[in-house]
Amino acid sequence: MNDMRLTERAVDATDVKISARKVQVYYGDNHAIKDVDVDIPDRMVTAFIGPSGCGKSTFLRSLNRMNDTIPICRVEGKITLDGEDIYDRRVDPVQLRAKVGMVFQKPNPFPKSIYDNVAYGPRIHGLTRNKAELDEVVEQSLRRAALWNEVKDRLHAPGTGLSGGQQQRLCIARAVATSPEVLLMDEPCSALDPIATAQVEELIDELRANFSVVIVTHSMQQAARVSQKTAFFHLGNLVEYGETGQIFTKPQDPRTESYISGRIG
Amino acid sequence: MPLPATLFCGLDISMSIGLLLAIILGLAAVGYVIGIRRAKDRAGGDTRRLHSLAGYHGQSVLLFTAVPALLVVGAWLLLQPVVIEARVSGMIAESDVPQGSSLDLVMSDVRRVADGLNAIAANEQLTEDEIAAMGADLGGLRSRLGNAGVALASDVQPSVFEASRTYRQMNNTGLTALSISAILVALAGLVFSASRIQAEFRARNVSESFVKLLFIGSSFVAVLTTFGIIASLVVESVHFFQLYPIKDFLFSLTWNPQFRGGSDLGIWPLLWGTLYVSFVALLFAVPVGLLSAIYLSEYASKRVRSVVKPAIEILAGIPTIVYGLFALITVGPFLRDYFAQPLGLGTSSSSVLTAGLVMGIMLIPFVSSLSDDIINAVPQAMRDGSFGLGATHSETVRQVILPAALPGIVGAILLAASRAIGETMIVVMGAGAAAKLSLNPLEAMTTITVKIVSQLTGDTEFASPETLVAFALGMMLFIFTLGLNVIALYVVRKYREQYE
Repeated sequence: MNDMRLTERAVDATDVKISARKVQVYYGDNHAIKDVDVDIPDRMVTAFIGPSGCGKSTFLRSLNRMNDTIPICRVEGKITLDGEDIYDRRVDPVQLRAKVGMVFQKPNPFPKSIYDNVAYGPRIHGLTRNKAELDEVVEQSLRRAALWNEVKDRLHAPGTGLSGGQQQRLCIARAVATSPEVLLMDEPCSALDPIATAQVEELIDELRANFSVVIVTHSMQQAARVSQKTAFFHLGNLVEYGETGQIFTKPQDPRTESYISGRIG
Repeated sequence: MPLPATLFCGLDISMSIGLLLAIILGLAAVGYVIGIRRAKDRAGGDTRRLHSLAGYHGQSVLLFTAVPALLVVGAWLLLQPVVIEARVSGMIAESDVPQGSSLDLVMSDVRRVADGLNAIAANEQLTEDEIAAMGADLGGLRSRLGNAGVALASDVQPSVFEASRTYRQMNNTGLTALSISAILVALAGLVFSASRIQAEFRARNVSESFVKLLFIGSSFVAVLTTFGIIASLVVESVHFFQLYPIKDFLFSLTWNPQFRGGSDLGIWPLLWGTLYVSFVALLFAVPVGLLSAIYLSEYASKRVRSVVKPAIEILAGIPTIVYGLFALITVGPFLRDYFAQPLGLGTSSSSVLTAGLVMGIMLIPFVSSLSDDIINAVPQAMRDGSFGLGATHSETVRQVILPAALPGIVGAILLAASRAIGETMIVVMGAGAAAKLSLNPLEAMTTITVKIVSQLTGDTEFASPETLVAFALGMMLFIFTLGLNVIALYVVRKYREQYE
């Protein structure tokens, strides 16, 4: 986990999950994302780093069309998931979001029971045939989110009653339960204490076995710890993108180097 | 103090009170200026040496001058009539009260004659002796009073004349005494508060705690009024239950008041009518209001919302009597001609359905506006979370937003329900006045509030069970709506704890 060099991990680097070409995002007149090209590999953790307001969250939200819910937001360019244009007229954003799940900065469990929180996705997408299967999915998702042992005796207690770290893992379990192909995480640890952060980071590393994970983070240590690839954003531009080890040890761009060494941002 | 005595004696009451208030406020304004000057003097011209800003010194003098004096005026005006009435009514012997009349009626004559005497005295510049001399010619007095605008049915009785004269004199001396004492209190406050100004005097703390006391006092006025209302309801209800068995009131199924006695005063037909009309109203208002709230808060574009929301809220500003007219001339006949008569369910244009529907329209803004606010208060994070899992907008609304907002929506509905239960005008004009226990919604029925009005109208003597029942009905209604409000507040509060 501490090893940042991709070459020793024996991952097929050509397996691209999401590919973005010349992506522009506008909020009204504000040009928030400029000309971003990026290839996000499958079954790997990709980290987006950069100073506040650099557009990394905006870009993340355009990967599952969450920006559609903001009326003044406009996306141009091409983003493909498994070679299919997600901004194509025929693509239903609702189905897209079932494939590209999202975990938010602040834990946002629904004011429902723990069980109902996790069962929410499978229920609306009709993923299970009966109660037993649903129970199975719920248990599996909670286990994957490393929460099962803590909540198995109180599945019907409200999810809002859990601690902050537990709530965030519940939200991850909720996202995992719909069996997405990609998991987008927008600063998932910024509202958590160090212990909960460590748990979630460990979890992210495990999720890599099944999903492609994209994580936005403010913490460079976190990016270094959990990701295999890192993209550095600055003022709406993608400055540098490459293997995490490379970005942190031998950055090509002077701006990346300044950010990593703490001179900007 | 001869000056205020002559100043106020001949003047009309309202005028002299107005003048008195102006004097008190003038003194307060002077006090403000004095306070500021004095504070600056005490600081030796260097305002930095003052503990409080000079304005606070002025404010404390102003408050100490005006507030106690105004309280004296208020309390005096409340108590003076009570004291004078008690003294004067003792002057009228029981034999002076004509047959078929009462002491109350004679006393109102006394007040009118006293007003007339005041008017004559002011017009003709009479002295007290000259007024006393008018008692010798009571027939002439009647015509003179008539000229002064006080028309009387018969000649003034000697005892009434004497009583009026005393009434007038006591009022005038009372007012003079009031003016003197109020001005003295104001001056005392001014001198006291101005004299204690020092550089280190904590005028800010003093005036702020004084203002805090004013706030507390104002809130007590509201609370005490509520208690007063409850007390009057309870007292009169107890009177009623002494005359009429509480068992019959609560359990009899007939409402049939007879003013010659022997009436049935069972609350059930009225309670049933109240609940039935309110139920129909809510049946109409809750779905319409809730759906429009969902549309406005979740689906409507900004521009639509900015037009539709105020338009719905206009409904809340229409006086209920106008809704009543709408029920009477439009909805009632429509329901009768197209539903009741063809279906053979009745021939009355007033019906539960008419009143219920119109009341439902009135309640729409209550339900929709409150629910809209509550739905908007559901955090955006909930919506994002649901969208992020691939839920559609309608799934999000149904499964996340409405459950999260439900307690608040229940609160909104309960508030609307207590409005419906207390509504009177629409029911009078829409549902009629027949107390009936029936399930047919196209039949005329009536509610508790309507019967309270009809039992009390045209009668000022609260002695028979037929009039006193109004208070018992009022108390039942109060208990009912109070219960609903308590539940609503409880639910709303519980909801608030979830997201704050």
